Amino acid sequence: MLLVQVVVGGLLLGAIYALFSSGLTLIWGMMNFINFAHGEFVMLGMYAALLVVVWLGGGPAVFGLAVALLLFFLGVAVYASLIRHVLRGPMLAQILSTFGLALLLRYTAFWIFSANFVSLPETWLSGSVDVGGIWLPIPQLIAGLLAITLTIVLHLLLTRTTVGSRLLAVSEDRTAAMLMGIRPDRMQALAWGLSASAAGIAGALMATAYPWSPSVGETFGLIAFVVVALGGFGSVPGAMYAGLIIGLIQSVSAFWLGPIYKDIVVYALFAVLLWLRPQGLMGRA
Amino acid sequence: MLLEARDVSKSFGSFRAVAGANLFIEEGEIVGLIGPNGAGKSTFFNCLAGDMPVTTGQIIFDGHDITRASPEAHARIGIGRTFQLPATFEDMTVLENVMVGAFLRYPHRDDAREHARKIIELTGLAAHASNWARSLGTPGRKRLEIARVLASKPRLMLLDESLAGLTPAELRDAISLVKRIHEMGITLVIVEHIMEVIMTLTRRVLVFNQGHVIASGKPEDVVRDPAVIAAYLGHGHVPRRG
Amino acid sequence: MKRLSPTRLGIAVFAVGLLLYPLVFTNPFYLDIGVTFLLAAISASAWNIVGGYAGQISVGHSMFFGLGAYAPLLFYQLLGWPPMAGIPIGIAASVVLAIIIGMPTFRLTGHYFSMATIAVAELIRIFTGTWDFVGAAIGLQGPATARGWWDLTFRGETPYYYIFLGVLAALLFITHTIERRRFGYYLRAIKARERAARSLGVPVLQIKMQALMLSAIFTSLAGSLYAIKTGFIDPESGFGILVSVQMVIIAALGGAGTLFGPVFGALILIPLQSATNTWFGGGGSGLTYILYGGIIVLIARFEPGGLFELWHRVIAKYRSRRDAA
Repeated sequence: MLLVQVVVGGLLLGAIYALFSSGLTLIWGMMNFINFAHGEFVMLGMYAALLVVVWLGGGPAVFGLAVALLLFFLGVAVYASLIRHVLRGPMLAQILSTFGLALLLRYTAFWIFSANFVSLPETWLSGSVDVGGIWLPIPQLIAGLLAITLTIVLHLLLTRTTVGSRLLAVSEDRTAAMLMGIRPDRMQALAWGLSASAAGIAGALMATAYPWSPSVGETFGLIAFVVVALGGFGSVPGAMYAGLIIGLIQSVSAFWLGPIYKDIVVYALFAVLLWLRPQGLMGRA
Repeated sequence: MLLEARDVSKSFGSFRAVAGANLFIEEGEIVGLIGPNGAGKSTFFNCLAGDMPVTTGQIIFDGHDITRASPEAHARIGIGRTFQLPATFEDMTVLENVMVGAFLRYPHRDDAREHARKIIELTGLAAHASNWARSLGTPGRKRLEIARVLASKPRLMLLDESLAGLTPAELRDAISLVKRIHEMGITLVIVEHIMEVIMTLTRRVLVFNQGHVIASGKPEDVVRDPAVIAAYLGHGHVPRRG
Repeated sequence: MKRLSPTRLGIAVFAVGLLLYPLVFTNPFYLDIGVTFLLAAISASAWNIVGGYAGQISVGHSMFFGLGAYAPLLFYQLLGWPPMAGIPIGIAASVVLAIIIGMPTFRLTGHYFSMATIAVAELIRIFTGTWDFVGAAIGLQGPATARGWWDLTFRGETPYYYIFLGVLAALLFITHTIERRRFGYYLRAIKARERAARSLGVPVLQIKMQALMLSAIFTSLAGSLYAIKTGFIDPESGFGILVSVQMVIIAALGGAGTLFGPVFGALILIPLQSATNTWFGGGGSGLTYILYGGIIVLIARFEPGGLFELWHRVIAKYRSRRDAA
């Protein structure tokens, strides 16, 4: 029964991985660009949630929405002021731009919030619930379910709406999209907004269930790489399945090998993946 | 026979870009590949250059099977190519660009530089030798690409629209350059839109449409072929004669 | 006889300055800055071979630095060998690791290599922190006092200064030689346009692998020198992400893919780092890293060619203005 609890806990955590990783894979698929600061967006989402709760006293619905908006604008701002200019530059500029941004955000967070772990004050979300004989903390349950729902919503947004088809048109063929009257620049800004927003909401959801410190950004950034590498670069459904799998693997390896090994197992999996199937398990060859 | 491409096909997923094309070239020929946009000639060209693995078929160069050989192996065996969109090394000088080609046959820098200088003279780039490649305009870059390939001493040169987008004067120079290259004993395959170029330079053309070779023969016969006219009309323009 | 150009003269003056520095600045504080500068210049120049010349951006070069740093102290602790004896072992391990990383990723586009390097470096850092055999989170220590000269454990900084200076000179000489040979031309061609390079017969995979291995060898050596001098290594100072960051930022600041770019990058960053540590209170202060992040973003956004390119542009502008006048 304990193992079942570990498995369910892993899947709920994996749902959150799926949400923020789908943001990373969106940017990769659209402009063949890796955002090294993606994990820091998740971390900012967590602190933004904390600040909203402490200062405005808002409940989960309020801070969820506030974080989504805040990170959306951050994503757009990062695109407009930085990414747009390095996209056609040398590879060095492309990689350094978000890599430097990651350091800037991470250590600014250390400076402001210190390296201590924090968690959200208890809300009506606290407590546990008995689901068929296993005890699940309510925050984890709600966060996981919401995360998987939002990932599916993002996928539907990309595949079933006009905006989504415009986004995909830009990623397929920039020139053709321009001829169709789509402005690639706007679509790419929108993609960065959505991507950062997904990361931010994932962070806010995670903040309801787990304590954190500024260093989580680095960990989540790397986890997002592994998820995207497993799910195939550019695929939101791939990121969803891969996120759940990685969550599960982490949870089970922490249970069997000890908590310190949960990241080692995941990174080792990444190294093996690069050798065996660099295009990802579910990616196109 | 210098090059034999038998029944070459290339598919992307369910889309067959090239569907069973054949090409046989004797040493010393100049062959043209023409066809409307998206007809498959560029894909076929990339298969010949080793840049894309063929889906089915066989390519033999001078008796060696090169169907699965890498692009660098193609260069070593003597097949050089240019790119449709000029792919010069922007942060290197014109001379250095040509030296990269020359290094294939001359491993030592001084020999490579000496050979590169000769090629630069031959291709009319001497005035720009120490300029950055990025300072050249499109015609200059196309010429630089030809020079770079030439420096690697190919036996067969594949030119991918190397003469497109030139002014009439530049075009005349470029045509005479290609003729000089031919006189050096180098066999040429030319992908081109401009019929004038094909008519002046080649004795034999292959016309591609929808992945198939729909006609081949002397250029003056091919342009009168009803199938060819239909293929071009279907794409809104007729091959023009100069 | 070659004409003495201003550039050559500048390099000569700089070299003499480096040689005389310990004789002029005998204060341990300044001597320490000098030694730190040399080590940073060595690491960044080593990174520069694959990151600058070949254009394959590694953001996890600490993996080679760490292997080089751990090997000497590990064999000292296990078998009592002089730390120096661990240098070739660290180098061998780094070359093997370079092959493991390069083989799969160099077939793909550049971003995979960057991603793989950071992930593998993190994997090794976390793993080292849990592995008791290599001291886990506490790390390893070298000999406290020298048993002989071969332990390379000196009281003062001056001997280290000259050893490091020698290594830097050797590395720059090798890089200079590479620049002038076919290998160097091939590296630049690959960086500019891989597909075109391949079509001209450049064996791209092989050249990238050789660049990575050479880079790994010298990065590993830099790690060994660091560990032997400091007499101490732990997962963070060996494999930490900031070790990699420093190499990238120094090379990019000075000018990635140029011979002296990393040296000038180090010349600016190391005193700056030392100053910020003093102003803001030392101990790897967070503000230093905020500054690092800011500098990296600014370089990427405005000056990806580094200060070297900026300098060339300024000179060109000055000359054209002078010619116009």
